[in-house]
Amino acid sequence: MKAAIWAGVDEVTVEDVPEPQLLNDHDVLLRIHKTVTCGSDLHLIGGYIPAMRSGDVLGHEFLGTVVEKGRAVQRVQVGDRVVVPSFVACGSCWYCSQELYSLCDNGNPDPGITEGLWGQSPGGCFGYSHAMGGYAGSHAEYMRVPYADVGCFVVPDGVSDTRALFASDSVTTGWTGAHLGGTQPGDVVAVWGAGAVGQMAARAAMLLGAEQVVVIDRLPERLAQVRTHIGAEAVDFSTTDVVAELRERTGGRGPDVCIEAVGMEAHSTGVQGAFDQVKQQLRLQTDRPSAVREAIRACRKGGSVFVLGVYAGMVDKFPLGALMNKGLTVRGAQQHGQRYVPEILAHMESGALTTEHLATHTMPLSQAAEGYRIFKAKEDGCVRTVFEPGS
Amino acid sequence: MDRLLRQAAGLGGAALGKLQHTRIPGVGQASTTEPADVAARRWRAVTVFRDDLAGPFPELEALGPDLEVRMQPAAGGRGTELYGRFHGTPDADRIGELRAALRRTKQLAEVGEVLRVDPATHGTRRPTPQGAALEGAAARAPREGVL
Ligand SMILES: NC(=O)c1ccc[n+]([C@@H]2O[C@H](COP(=O)([O-])OP(=O)(O)OC[C@H]3O[C@@H](n4cnc5c(N)ncnc54)[C@H](O)[C@@H]3O)[C@@H](O)[C@H]2O)c1
Ligand SMILES: [Zn+2]
Ligand SMILES: [Zn+2]
Repeated sequence: MKAAIWAGVDEVTVEDVPEPQLLNDHDVLLRIHKTVTCGSDLHLIGGYIPAMRSGDVLGHEFLGTVVEKGRAVQRVQVGDRVVVPSFVACGSCWYCSQELYSLCDNGNPDPGITEGLWGQSPGGCFGYSHAMGGYAGSHAEYMRVPYADVGCFVVPDGVSDTRALFASDSVTTGWTGAHLGGTQPGDVVAVWGAGAVGQMAARAAMLLGAEQVVVIDRLPERLAQVRTHIGAEAVDFSTTDVVAELRERTGGRGPDVCIEAVGMEAHSTGVQGAFDQVKQQLRLQTDRPSAVREAIRACRKGGSVFVLGVYAGMVDKFPLGALMNKGLTVRGAQQHGQRYVPEILAHMESGALTTEHLATHTMPLSQAAEGYRIFKAKEDGCVRTVFEPGS
Repeated sequence: MDRLLRQAAGLGGAALGKLQHTRIPGVGQASTTEPADVAARRWRAVTVFRDDLAGPFPELEALGPDLEVRMQPAAGGRGTELYGRFHGTPDADRIGELRAALRRTKQLAEVGEVLRVDPATHGTRRPTPQGAALEGAAARAPREGVL
């Protein structure tokens, strides 16, 4: 079958690879209908996460049909149209019982790598390097999904493929940030990054009752989507002092909840930007944290900062003093998708949550290299490239 | 310039490891702060999310009579703590076997099977030194970590 693989730094190719097979009793095999580029892939493709091996199949946001199931699978049936969160979770360990699915104890068969780096191993993720389990990703005609009864969610008939697709990662990630960031009815929420993740964090905050939501980015077409499709306020960080702007828009208080959806390749200007770039290249810091710094600075006293953007290692010039003296709560997570997908699909069905505008580009899987090039360059207003392996 | 950058990067990595107690996978799993023989004699443990956990544990028994095993209820209703420790001072390979066996025992008790990932579907693997190192690290990963 055809699959899009990582062939080396900044190199995506499409190759013939063996079809996957059932390996565990709780597995299913899916035929993939739609599979998407994610900002996280850019960190992988660019070599910022070193545990990629040439030949690894990319992709972790996808929708498909069950074509084969293992002996122990009960809830999911062959023929079901399902959406699957990116993280692999067993449903039986203590973390899963707490609905912290991306922290599942039994989701990563290679826990030694991340334990060594971080002291503990989070769960595994499809198409996300050998640090996260070495699972083949979804940019392929067929894919294996372990713990299928926990991870596969049947899409209601009234919800289109393109809308449901984003319940796999973008929406679930945004929802994780807005919910675990502690968004309360009446809150002011600021979101850094107007990619699919940031936009969906903003929409989730609104559905959780936030009264005012502001999204920060510099790309005009994304800021326009924020205004028209999300219904939130938009601020351009390339022409505005973000902290001052947020202060002015919130009666001097600052946002109650600040959600960072940018990640380790954040753009920044001036001395801070140059400093971070050089240190990242020298491996003295692995990640560029400018949006997190700004969120900590902007947040109201006693407020909460949620880190959704992906970081791998160390950052520098972290404003610990502001964090401590302002009494902030800082939290982060990979998405706990299994917890939120049912609620998200219900909002999709009712029409309160729409995602079709994120799919700015759709192409056959054979054009994966071009799809990633456009996505990476943010060319032609690209927010997400959707690949269709069947076409 | 290129060489200089690479050297600086290497030094940067080493310094970070030391400062943050980070262990680069495959480069020795001993503690960064305590003598290797002290680290080797520690109990290794997993918490299994079951109150009724009971042996036999074939994965642990397979490690031979040198292995001491004990259990105790975990605080806060988190299940049962399962501990293993070899008599004497085991080498890194033995400890690796113990880690892997504890992890497998936990999975068997919690989900009824051990999760597999190989053979994973993949395309052409280029023979690069970095790739080979990573494959080695991934192969060793079930036996490594801080456990
Ligand atoms: N936690 C999770 O489970 C999870 C899941 C999916 C993605 N992510 C991460 O979330 C982040 C965003 O993902 P995405 O797919 O939306 O990525 P994306 O690349 O499409 O969007 C990132 C956006 O951030 C903007 N940006 C850059 N620097 C900024 C700054 N200083 N201030 C404000 N905005 C800035 C960019 O212009 C871009 O629009 C990535 O780091 C990704 O890895 C995390
Ligand atoms: Zn993602
Ligand atoms: Zn679990």
